[in-house]
Amino acid sequence: MHSRLHTRFVIALALLVGAIGAPAAQDVSLPNQPDSLKFAIIGDSGTGSSSQHKVAEMLIAARAKFPYEFILMMGDNLYSGSGPKDYQKKFEVPYKPLLDSGLKFYAALGNHDNTDEKNYKPFNMGGQRYYTFKPKNGVRVFALDSNYMDQPQLQWLEKELTASGSDWKIVFFHHPLYSSGMHGSDIQLRAQLEPLFLKHGVDVVFSGHEHFYERIKPQKGIYYFTSGGAAKLREGDVNKTNLTAKSFDTGYHFMVIELTKDALHFQAISDQGKTVDSGTLPRVTDQEKKKLSTS
Amino acid sequence: MRVFTRVIHTIFCLMLAVAWPHAYAAQKSAVNPDAQVLQDFKARVDKYVELRNKADDGAPPIKKTDDSTELRSAQQGLAERIGAARTPAKQGDIFTPEIAARFRKLLRPEVNEPGTKATIKDDNPGAFPFKVNGPYPSKEPLSTVPPNVLASLPPLPKDIEYRFVNKHLILRDARANLIIDYIPNALS
Repeated sequence: MHSRLHTRFVIALALLVGAIGAPAAQDVSLPNQPDSLKFAIIGDSGTGSSSQHKVAEMLIAARAKFPYEFILMMGDNLYSGSGPKDYQKKFEVPYKPLLDSGLKFYAALGNHDNTDEKNYKPFNMGGQRYYTFKPKNGVRVFALDSNYMDQPQLQWLEKELTASGSDWKIVFFHHPLYSSGMHGSDIQLRAQLEPLFLKHGVDVVFSGHEHFYERIKPQKGIYYFTSGGAAKLREGDVNKTNLTAKSFDTGYHFMVIELTKDALHFQAISDQGKTVDSGTLPRVTDQEKKKLSTS
Repeated sequence: MRVFTRVIHTIFCLMLAVAWPHAYAAQKSAVNPDAQVLQDFKARVDKYVELRNKADDGAPPIKKTDDSTELRSAQQGLAERIGAARTPAKQGDIFTPEIAARFRKLLRPEVNEPGTKATIKDDNPGAFPFKVNGPYPSKEPLSTVPPNVLASLPPLPKDIEYRFVNKHLILRDARANLIIDYIPNALS
C-alpha cells in the first residue's frame, strides 16, 4: 500500500516537473482551421547535436498548439555517415516523441545523405530518390533529388505535374533555386526546373542547404523558402539581396505551414521559441502566374 | 577557249568523283569513332550491371525497412558479392583511355558554363583516398552533379551514377555504394 502511494507520488511529481521543464509552446499564430492542411518543415537537421534536440523540443511543443500532420525534411538528414547508429542518434532519438505519436516524416536527399536512405521506411520515400504524395484532396507534394537532376527525373516530374491538375503544388528539394547565402542560387538547376514549375503552375518551393532561414520575394508568381537551419547554423551568412523578403541567420529554426483553399499561412520559429517570420500568401492563379512569367 | 574550259571542268568533275568517296569516308570515320567509343562505354556498363544482377541473384532484395541495421548489411552484402565477382578490377576497366578522353571532351564545355564549376566545387567532398571496387566512404558527402553536366554525359542504368571526388569523375553503384571506376583529373 505504502509502496503504491509512493509510486503514485513519484509519477505525479515527474509529470509536474515534466510540465514545468518542457519548453514553452510557442505562440503559433497560424489560423489553425479545422479543414486546412498543416505541416512542418525542417532542413539540414541530421547532426545529433544539442541544437537539433533543441529544435526538436520546439517542434514537439508547437504540435501541442498546432497539430501538424507531417514534417517535410529538406535533406542532409544524416550528416557524416548513415550507419545504424547515425539513424538512431540523428533521427530516431531526437524525434522519438513525434515518431511514437505516429507522425510521418517525408525526406528529400541532400548532398550529405547516402542514397540508401530512400529505403528507410520512416523517411517515407517509397524506395525512390524522388516521389510524390497527396496528403489531402486538392494538394500535391513533390520531393526531388536536386543532387542528381537527370533526364529520367525531369521527365517524371513533368508527367506528375501534368497529372496533378489544379491541386496546390508544393515542391521540396535540397538546393535552393534562389538564395542570398554562401552557396547562392543554383542557376543550372533553376534553368531546368523553373520552366517546368511555371508551365505547370507550381505554387510554393521549399529548400534547405543554406544554414539559415530566407523567404524570397515571389519569383514569377512562385513562393520560395529556404529552411536549412534545424541543426546547422551559418551565422550572419545571409547577404541580403533584392531577392530577400525576410531572413534569419542568428539562430536555429523550423517552420510550420497551413494551407487553406486560397492561401498559404507560414511561420518560422527559432530554437528559442521566437517567431522570426510569419504571414499569409494568397494563392496565385494560373492566369496571374502566366502573366507574371512573361512580364 | 571553250574546249579548254570543258577540259578543266571535266578534270574537276573527275577529281571530285574520285575524292568524294574518300572525303565521305573520312567524314564518316570522324563521326563513327566517337559513337563507337560511347557504344563501348555502354557495353562495359551493361556488363557490370549484368554482373551485379548475378551477384544479387538469390540474395534478399534491399527492401524498405525501418531497421537501419538491415539497410546497412544488405548494402554491404551486395558490395562484397560484387567485389568478389569482379576481382581483379582496376581503374580503366570501364573508363578505357579512349572513353576517358571522350568524356573529358564532353565535360569541358559544360564545366565552363556559368555556375557549373561553382556547383561542383560547392558540394565536392575534396580529396580522399578511394579505389575501384572499394566503398564510397559513408562519412563523405556526395558531390552534386549539375543537370547540364548530366545531360552531356551518356545516360546510365538505374542506380549507377556519376559523381565528382575532387577533380576525378567516379562511377558509383548507388545500390552497393561501390566505386566502379573513375577518370583521374577529369575536371583538369
